[in-house]
Amino acid sequence: MSKQREGGVPHPRQEPRIPGPLSLARLEEVFSDCVDFKKREVYLHGDSGRKATVCYIDGQARSERLNDYVLRPLAQDPMLASAPESELFSLMERGALYAHGAKRETEPDPVVFALIDGSCALFLEGRDDCLVFPVATEEKRSVGEPENEPALKGARDSFVESLRTNTSLVRRRLRAPELKVREHIVGRQSLTPVDMLWIDGIADPDTVALLSERLEGIDIDGVEAAGSLEEYLVDAARSPFPMMPYTQRPDRFCQGLLEGRVGLLADGIPLGWILPGTIDQFFKTGQDRAYHWLVASALSLIRWLCCLLTLLVPGLYIALVTFHPEAIPPKLALSIVAAKQEVPFSTIFEVLIMLLSFEVIQEAGLRLPGPIGATVSILGGLVVGNAAVDAHIVSPAVLIAVAVAGVAGYTMPSQDFGNALRLWRFLLAILASAGGLIGLSLGCAGLIYHLAGLESFGVPYLAPFTTGTRVPRGHPSLFRLPLPRMKWRDGPVKTRNRRNQR
Amino acid sequence: MKKTLLPWLAAGLFLAGCSGLPTAREMGDMALLRTLGVDPSPAGVAVTGSTGPRARGMKGEGEAALTLSADRASLSAACLAMQGQSDSYVFFGYVDQLLVGQALAEEGVRPVLDYFSRDGSLGLGAQMWLVRGASARDALSAGGEQGVDSRLETLQNDSEMGIANLTRTAGETYTDLLELGCAYVPALSPAGDGGVLLTEAGYGVLKGDTLSGFLEGEAARGLELLAGGPSSDVLDVNLPGGPVSVKVTSARTKSALNFRGNTPSALKLSCQIEARLSEYRQRPEGEALDRLRAELESRERERIEEALDRLQIWGTDCTGLGAGAGMSRPARWQAVREDWPEWFSRVPVEVTVQIKINS
Repeated sequence: MSKQREGGVPHPRQEPRIPGPLSLARLEEVFSDCVDFKKREVYLHGDSGRKATVCYIDGQARSERLNDYVLRPLAQDPMLASAPESELFSLMERGALYAHGAKRETEPDPVVFALIDGSCALFLEGRDDCLVFPVATEEKRSVGEPENEPALKGARDSFVESLRTNTSLVRRRLRAPELKVREHIVGRQSLTPVDMLWIDGIADPDTVALLSERLEGIDIDGVEAAGSLEEYLVDAARSPFPMMPYTQRPDRFCQGLLEGRVGLLADGIPLGWILPGTIDQFFKTGQDRAYHWLVASALSLIRWLCCLLTLLVPGLYIALVTFHPEAIPPKLALSIVAAKQEVPFSTIFEVLIMLLSFEVIQEAGLRLPGPIGATVSILGGLVVGNAAVDAHIVSPAVLIAVAVAGVAGYTMPSQDFGNALRLWRFLLAILASAGGLIGLSLGCAGLIYHLAGLESFGVPYLAPFTTGTRVPRGHPSLFRLPLPRMKWRDGPVKTRNRRNQR
Repeated sequence: MKKTLLPWLAAGLFLAGCSGLPTAREMGDMALLRTLGVDPSPAGVAVTGSTGPRARGMKGEGEAALTLSADRASLSAACLAMQGQSDSYVFFGYVDQLLVGQALAEEGVRPVLDYFSRDGSLGLGAQMWLVRGASARDALSAGGEQGVDSRLETLQNDSEMGIANLTRTAGETYTDLLELGCAYVPALSPAGDGGVLLTEAGYGVLKGDTLSGFLEGEAARGLELLAGGPSSDVLDVNLPGGPVSVKVTSARTKSALNFRGNTPSALKLSCQIEARLSEYRQRPEGEALDRLRAELESRERERIEEALDRLQIWGTDCTGLGAGAGMSRPARWQAVREDWPEWFSRVPVEVTVQIKINS
């Protein structure tokens, strides 16, 4: 990405986008073959000598506002018919029309983009400039509950597709004027507004500057999915591990800002990213601070344990059963021997096939509508699994090992992180198939090597555990202390104000 | 740099001998040997192995134990020969009971322990038993179709609960032989009509690596007191108020060496025993309790002395009394350590026993 930017040649951008002077004719030319482009000619107070033309995009502008705030005053205000023509624009700009904003434009680019955003443009005969009035429609999905992060004890609102609604959800929680919102437009064709949010005086200015610089550097056609931003912003897009933790919950997003991180919201994407991303962020849930600290700590430990289980159980099973059976307790070994006797496949093949089947069933369940998906999961998981065991196609121990690994993976609060673990689970199982515990150990060492090499906006991915000696540490990541004792923001985030309470 | 890293890593692995990665083996076609017996034979050594009653895993509940045996010049040759006797892959990684026949113990057990320590799958974690008055092969056949595995497992569990003889692993025995020059090993003997049951038969004491003799009865109890792990023992004492039964729950023996000049002048043993009243007609109090305590102390002292007498005759400090005492006087201990077996045979021993009776 950086090489491409440095060169600057492969994908040049045309500036200005619409060359030439501004005029009504030029605007019509730009929007030719656009059925939703509309224009309306109005005589000012019925004076046929004074004609105004209002242009807008049907569906983007709200007709009531257009009628009441623009067209009605134009048609009915006698002052507009009597005032000198040279003062008409000034009068309209300063209150003759009732829109809450008015801006005089002389270049085609801003007028075109304002029309697309839902404004209307007003042209007067004999003039090449125009007035732009915001009359955009506010049709959008209402704020609902966060489906992916259900709240049992806490706020029930979630981000929606409208960027401005999302920033307002944050503003309502963080009323400090130090909350800054900076907007970037990303995407040549989509022109998607992307907002950075941070609390001045707490967030690291270098992180803010770096994020801003990277957003500016994105030169793509459109932001149609979350990945359109993530893969351009992170340092190591080749890693399956997510580097940008996200949330649907405004309260969790605000908590991230209070910790000194920088937030990112994009129009059309109902979630917010919190940067920089460190590994502990993917193990936290919105409920951690709502539960009693002992309960929250126990649940956090369980999640970390499940992470190990989902990664290691299939590989460990292969390694022990195939290469190191002496490490299995005798009674369990007897049980495995009995279960394996009539199974025609090797343990390695069994585990890999079962892992693959698990992924297939999961994918099928996800792609189908809810009730059918649940049926597929039940059919695939229970009926087919049980039948396979009864038919001695797989042994029950393999089924249990794969199911334990799969279910443990579902405890990950971050789906992206869980997906990365699924990939590594396969890799570790294959390594265990090749070299038993040696292969598994090498795989684990490789995983740690890989994670230790990752950085998110200058912060080590494993920062909670590997801050080094010069960086002040935050609070323990594996469990949560009582809130009155959590007085410090994380050191690795390089916050400008570490103390968060008295 | 990363492009060059992979070839270097692969080369490193190859040179480090990682081509010798472990070999895959499916468990479904394995016969898991649980007990191994070793005896001398005209060919060299006779090895007998038993899978226990579940030769085919849990599904084979009630299935006859698979017993394999081979006489060869060496243990490894015998084990290899046993592989060919089964239609399954004979896996030695689950051998957790090792029976050594008395005849082999008299010849020397070190080759067996050496083999167990060197073999990758066997290891020294197996429980070791001496078969008194019979061969290990006879002992293994004492269990008939069910094998002796469950009996040995029961004895091992009982020992952990303190209601059977002390058990020793092959590793513990080998360590004692290397460090102390002697070791004690629990002994079993086939009993009943045709030897259908293995029963406890005291302890065999090894010196060097050969059998010196057996301790049984009171002497065996004395050895347990010295080793600090008595099996639960009930002592009955007749008091004026009626018979009283006392159950010994724990014992700990401390040793100390007195020196005259650079030579040991006395070995002082202090045994502290805890016991509790288990049965009585009239609860002993005051003078009766003192009398009970004195009687118990006298009996336990006699047991210890009986065991010590035998051990001193053999010159086998198999419970490490000298080494324990030497911990507090390391410089002097170093001076006598080499000749300690001789010193142990002739140094006067003073035994004091203290019993704490809990109600």
